[in-house]
Amino acid sequence: MAVLTAPDRKSPARMPISGRRVRGPRRTPPLVLAFVLVPLLAEALWVFWPALQGFYLALTKWDGVSPPQFVGLDNFREMAHDDVFRSALGHTVLWLVLFGGLSAVLGLAAALLLQQERRGVGFYRAALFLPVVFSLVATALVWQAIYQPDGVLNRVLDAVGLGSLQHAWLADQDTALYAVIVPALWRQIGYVMVLYLAGLKGIDPALYEAAKVDGASAWQRLRHVTLPQLRSVNAVVLSVIVIDSLRSFDVVWSLTRGGPYHSSELLSTYMYSTAFQSLRLGYGSALAVVIFVLAFGVIASYLVRAFREAD
Amino acid sequence: MANPQTSRRRFLAGLGAAGTAALLSGCVTDTSTGKGSSKGAVTLQSNLSAPQAKTAMEDLVAAYGKQGSGKASLNTIAAETFRTQLPTYLTSANPPDVYTWYPGSVADAYAKKNLLLDLDEVWSSSPDLKRYTKALHSLCTASSGKKVFVPNTYYWWGMFYRKSNFAKWGVSEPTSWDGFLDLCDKLKSKGVAPIGLGAGGNTPWVASAWFDYLDIRINGAQYHRELLAGKHRFDDPEVRKVFDRWQEVLPYFDPNGTALAFQDATTALLGGKTGMMLIGTFFADSAPKSALDDIDFFRFPVIDAKIPLAEEAPVDGYFASARTGRRDQVVDLMKYLATAEAQEIYIKGSSGTVLPCNPDAKDAGTTLVKKGRAHVAEAAEITQFFNRDSSDALQPTADTALTKFLAKPKQIGSILTDWQRDAQKIWNA
Repeated sequence: MAVLTAPDRKSPARMPISGRRVRGPRRTPPLVLAFVLVPLLAEALWVFWPALQGFYLALTKWDGVSPPQFVGLDNFREMAHDDVFRSALGHTVLWLVLFGGLSAVLGLAAALLLQQERRGVGFYRAALFLPVVFSLVATALVWQAIYQPDGVLNRVLDAVGLGSLQHAWLADQDTALYAVIVPALWRQIGYVMVLYLAGLKGIDPALYEAAKVDGASAWQRLRHVTLPQLRSVNAVVLSVIVIDSLRSFDVVWSLTRGGPYHSSELLSTYMYSTAFQSLRLGYGSALAVVIFVLAFGVIASYLVRAFREAD
Repeated sequence: MANPQTSRRRFLAGLGAAGTAALLSGCVTDTSTGKGSSKGAVTLQSNLSAPQAKTAMEDLVAAYGKQGSGKASLNTIAAETFRTQLPTYLTSANPPDVYTWYPGSVADAYAKKNLLLDLDEVWSSSPDLKRYTKALHSLCTASSGKKVFVPNTYYWWGMFYRKSNFAKWGVSEPTSWDGFLDLCDKLKSKGVAPIGLGAGGNTPWVASAWFDYLDIRINGAQYHRELLAGKHRFDDPEVRKVFDRWQEVLPYFDPNGTALAFQDATTALLGGKTGMMLIGTFFADSAPKSALDDIDFFRFPVIDAKIPLAEEAPVDGYFASARTGRRDQVVDLMKYLATAEAQEIYIKGSSGTVLPCNPDAKDAGTTLVKKGRAHVAEAAEITQFFNRDSSDALQPTADTALTKFLAKPKQIGSILTDWQRDAQKIWNA
């Protein structure tokens, strides 16, 4: 309830003092107030409130059935000595670098390749974007068939004379994580490509003409015109990549469930299995808090920097 | 610009403070004590989402409605969702009334938290339940001494193979551990992977069958149950013996054992790529009907004759929420579910490889099912399965340990230490 009354109480008191803001109606019309407050209340109830609960649960020991016990920072202390947590963190960083880095580079490359308006280019753009439309869980089913011991991948390897490379891709600890990254990349590249395509469209062609007149090579034009012009898009792409990396879950869960023996475990899958399989919801919430802090930290620091530059 | 900002900050601080206050008061996870609604049909929450089993449940509920004493409404949930949501169902203020689930330690864990309805009245008033075996009576009794479960059907685990393939390879069922090793040798020399597994994909738990069986053959069912209840340690020498024995047969395992889910391993078995497979009868659900008559099984070989013969024969059935508002209707439905008629309807609709718990109910009548019934009846002790004899929470620790053992058998020492550490966390949770 504090949510509703707090701003209501404050705004009239403040209005007369703030000299710069007295344009327009003196009081906010009730309709506007309703437009602001009703969604805020809904958001508070369904987003902020459960999020705060999550923070509270991170300080408890809870099996989901009996009432939770408050244990202070014990969960975080346990995390410091948890090998699985450490390897999951390592895998998440590797995921961020490989999945994030490759999807940005390949997405940009695809966008550059497909930015010219030629016949049939729409088809290729659509083809690259299409994976975004599919559910990752459905995608994972197809990839699972590809990775099977007698699946497409192994048959192709055999057919081209690389039979010695045949593998149980998802069941081998050395290949499982990479085998899971590929389907995730396959989807993400199309998405990043579309973001960059939009950015490329916004670049003034006059800049290229000027560069050409000055005798800049294709590489120089890319390096000194295209890339600096894409700075604002980069911010979006970076946020998207960081968030998508940290919440990557569905594809890993449906392909390996973090296995074999935690070798493809990410923080997200470890959080899920701790909370909902081992029923240690307190520790699972603590893991969720760590994920939140990581995601929020990266994005907030980037946004702060971006805003500072904009000023 | 300064003013709106301060006001926003103050507002957020106020919001935060309000939230924290409410959190500290603990209302977040308060377990409510309200009773469910008392009108309308009994809700039956089912995890039997496989097509055949689902239809069988629909038939069952329809038959109950026709019979006139009450009405039930069926709510089928995908098995995985059901499993993760069950604690939520049971603790909610207005829970579904009756659930399909497992007896034994899984049910007892909920009973200890006062979440299950006391079914003593059902057991004392139902003429059917009185005639159920003694083993079932004790299986459905919680540690408090109250009955909390009504069993429906059971199935068995065994070493399944295809008769025509065994004939083609000129081999037959072994009767001892050494005979079993000879059989593996012979199959291997014919270019067949002797033992299929199916612990890949989303079914790593299948590997636990090997652990269970080796443990009940070497250390006995009593020790096995105590181990899973946390009364022994996974790094004890007794457990080590289990894995030493497992190492003897490890070279005969299908190298794709941890890469294929059991459904695919079934296909490999039926296709003659693997010789046999330690599996429960549910695997027949993913086998073509034409192959069913060609399937046979033998007992997991006895290793130590001094140990009382134990078999894995998991029981499925129903329990009810303690918070139901329709207690009388639940009791009536439970009594019906225990009748021979109800179990026959279910067996008829499902794939027909399960056995009824009611001694008067007819099974599907095939040779396989008759053999299975005798197979379980000969056992002196019955175990359920790893997760049912412990908890669903302990299962992932076994999955990790066993898949690692299958990939790196030499590291068994450290694997067992890790397993004990992980299991300890679950037991302490």
